[in-house]
Amino acid sequence: MTDVASTHVSTLSPARADLFRIAAIVDALLLLAAAALAVFHAPADTVQGVVQKIFYLHVPSAIAAYAAFAVVLAGGLVFLWNESPAADRLARVAAEVGLLFTTVMLVSGSLWARPIWGTYWVWWDPRLVSTLVLWLIYAGYLLVRRIATPGRQAGRFAAVVGIVGFIDVPIVHFSVSWWRTIHPPVETATPEALPPEMLLTLGVSMLAVLLLAAVLVGYRYRVEVLKDRLAAELDR
Amino acid sequence: MSFLRVAAAVARKDLRTELRSRETLPALGQFVVLALLIANFGFDVETGGAKVAPGVLWLTVTFAGLVAFGRTFASERDQASLEPLLLTPASRSAIFAGKALAAALVLVACEVVLVPALGLFFNTPVFSLELAAALVLATIGMAGLGCLFAALAAQTRARDLLLPVLALPLWVPFVVVGGRAVQVALGGGGSLNGALALLLDFDILFVVVASLAAKFVLDD
Amino acid sequence: MKAIEAAGLRQRFGTRTVLGPLDLSLESGDSLAVLGENGSGKTTLLRLLATAARPAGGELRLFGLDATRERTELRRRIGYLGDVAGHYPALSALENLEFFCDLQGVERARAPRLLEQVGLAAVARRRAGQLSRGMAQRLGLARALLHAPELLVLDEPDAGLDEEGRGLLEKLVEGRSLVLATHDRQLAGQLCRHTLDLSQRALEAYQ
Repeated sequence: MTDVASTHVSTLSPARADLFRIAAIVDALLLLAAAALAVFHAPADTVQGVVQKIFYLHVPSAIAAYAAFAVVLAGGLVFLWNESPAADRLARVAAEVGLLFTTVMLVSGSLWARPIWGTYWVWWDPRLVSTLVLWLIYAGYLLVRRIATPGRQAGRFAAVVGIVGFIDVPIVHFSVSWWRTIHPPVETATPEALPPEMLLTLGVSMLAVLLLAAVLVGYRYRVEVLKDRLAAELDR
Repeated sequence: MSFLRVAAAVARKDLRTELRSRETLPALGQFVVLALLIANFGFDVETGGAKVAPGVLWLTVTFAGLVAFGRTFASERDQASLEPLLLTPASRSAIFAGKALAAALVLVACEVVLVPALGLFFNTPVFSLELAAALVLATIGMAGLGCLFAALAAQTRARDLLLPVLALPLWVPFVVVGGRAVQVALGGGGSLNGALALLLDFDILFVVVASLAAKFVLDD
Repeated sequence: MKAIEAAGLRQRFGTRTVLGPLDLSLESGDSLAVLGENGSGKTTLLRLLATAARPAGGELRLFGLDATRERTELRRRIGYLGDVAGHYPALSALENLEFFCDLQGVERARAPRLLEQVGLAAVARRRAGQLSRGMAQRLGLARALLHAPELLVLDEPDAGLDEEGRGLLEKLVEGRSLVLATHDRQLAGQLCRHTLDLSQRALEAYQ
C-alpha cells in the first residue's frame, strides 16, 4: 500500500494554500474592524437606540446565507447536468455554511424583535416565516446527504431538494405577505436614509461576513477533497 | 400518446391495488377520526370549536398526506416492484404523474371522511363548495411535492424519517393559502377567489417542477 | 454486431469491490452462462448488463450503445428477470402483464399470448400473490419476454421451476442473445454455448 500521508497530504499548491491563509487572516482583521466600527463609530439609532446595531450582523448574515444557497442551487444544477463531483462538493459545503448564517440571521433577528416588536417571534412577517422555512429546507438537504447512498444518489437527491427548496422559499414569502394583507396592519420600523457612519460600518461588516462565508466554504471544500482522496486511496 | 398511456396505466394499477387490498384508505380513515378525537381534547371545543376547526383540518390533512404519499412508493419498494417498473423505457415523468394522481385521489377520498367528521366533532357547518375546492386544489400541489420526496425517501434507508422533514416545509404555501381559504369558507371575512386562484398557480408551478425533477429521482 | 462488450468492468459497494475488473464479449445471438458460488458477483454482473445498476468503473456497451447513457433505448431491447420477480400481488397474472405492456409501449394483446407460452393460461385471472413460486417465476419470464427483447438477462431462471418449466425455458430463449446466472452446470450446458465462472477457484486457476 502506498503511503497516504506522504503522497496526498496537500491538495493545494503552496501558493494557493498561502492565499487561503492570507484570506483568513485578513478576514479576522476585518471582523474585528467591523465590530469596532459598530460599537464605537456608528451612532445609535434615533428611534431604536443601541439595539439597531444588531443590523450590522443581521443583514450581512442574510446576504451571505442567500449567496450560499444560490451556490447550492448552481452546484445542484451543474451536478444534474454533468455529474461533476466538484460541483456536488461545492453545493454540499455551501449548504452547511448557508445553514450556519441562516441560524445567525434567525437568532439576531429574534433578539432585535424582542425590544422593538415586543416579542421574539411573529407569524405575520413574511421574512421571519420564510427564513424559518429556509432553515428547515436546508436542514432537510443535509439530512438527505447523510441518509442517501454517498456518490451519485446523494448528489442527485440533494440537488433536487436544493433546487425545489430554492423555488419554494420566495413562494413562502409571497404567500405569507399575501396572508398578512388581509390581517390588521402592524407597525414596522421603516428604515430612513442612513448617515455615512452607518453606511461605512455596514459596508465593512458586509465585506467581513461575506469573506468569512467564502473562507469557510473554501476550507470545508478542502476538507471534503481530502476526504474523497483518502476514501479513493483506501479503496485501491 | 405514450405519456398519457403510461400515466393512466400506473394510476389505474395503484387505485386497483388499493381497492382490492384495502390497506391505505381504511387505515387513513381511522387515522383521521383519531386525529380529530385527540384535537377535541387538546382544544376547548365547547366554546371555540369553529375557531380551531380550520387548523385541525389542515393538521390532519398534512399528516394524512404524509402517510398516503409515503405508502405509494414504500409499497413499490416492499414488493420489489420498483425496479421492474423503472427498467422499462417508459417516461419517468409519466410514471411519477400516474403515481401522484392515484395518491392524490386516495387523499381526496380520505378528506371525504375528514370533512363531515370535522363538522360533527367541532360543531361547525362544513358543507360548502368553496371548502371542497380549496382542499382539492391544495391536495393536488401537495401530492406533486409529496410524491417527489416520497420517491426519493423510498430509495434511502430511514425513509419514514425523511419524508416529513422534506415535505412539510415545502407545503407551507399550500397550508398558508389553503388555511386562509378554509377560514373564509367556514365564515371568516375576506375574499375567497384570490386564495383559490393562488392555490391554482401554486399547483401548476409545483406539478411542473416535480414532474421535471422526477426524472432525476427515479433512477436515470 | 456484438451484444455485449465490456472492458475493465468493475462494481463495488462502499469500499468493497464485488466484481471485476472484467472483460467480456458476446456476439449477438450467442449465449453465456455465468457460474460461481454465492457472493461471487453473478447477480451484480447481471444487474449491470440489464442496466439495473451503474458500473463503478470500466466500459460497457450493449449493441454498440453506451450502457450508462443510452439506457432508455437499451431497455426496449433487453429483457431482465432479477433474483426477485417483484410482481404486484393484488393484480392478476394477466393484469400484471398488461400493465407492463402499457409501460413497454406494446399492444396488450401480447399479454394473453405470452401467458399461453409460459403455460399460465389457466391461472391468468389468479392474483400474482397467490401464485406458487414456480408460477411466479414463469410469470417473471413472460414479463421479461413481453417486448420481444433481443437480449435476455435471466438471474437463476430455473429457481422453483419444474421439469416441464425447464424444458419451456429452452424454447423461450431460442433465437435471442442470452446471459443467464445459475448454479446448475447441466442447465448451463443445455442453454448456453459459453460459460463464465466467477468463482474464486476459477480465477485462481486462471492466474
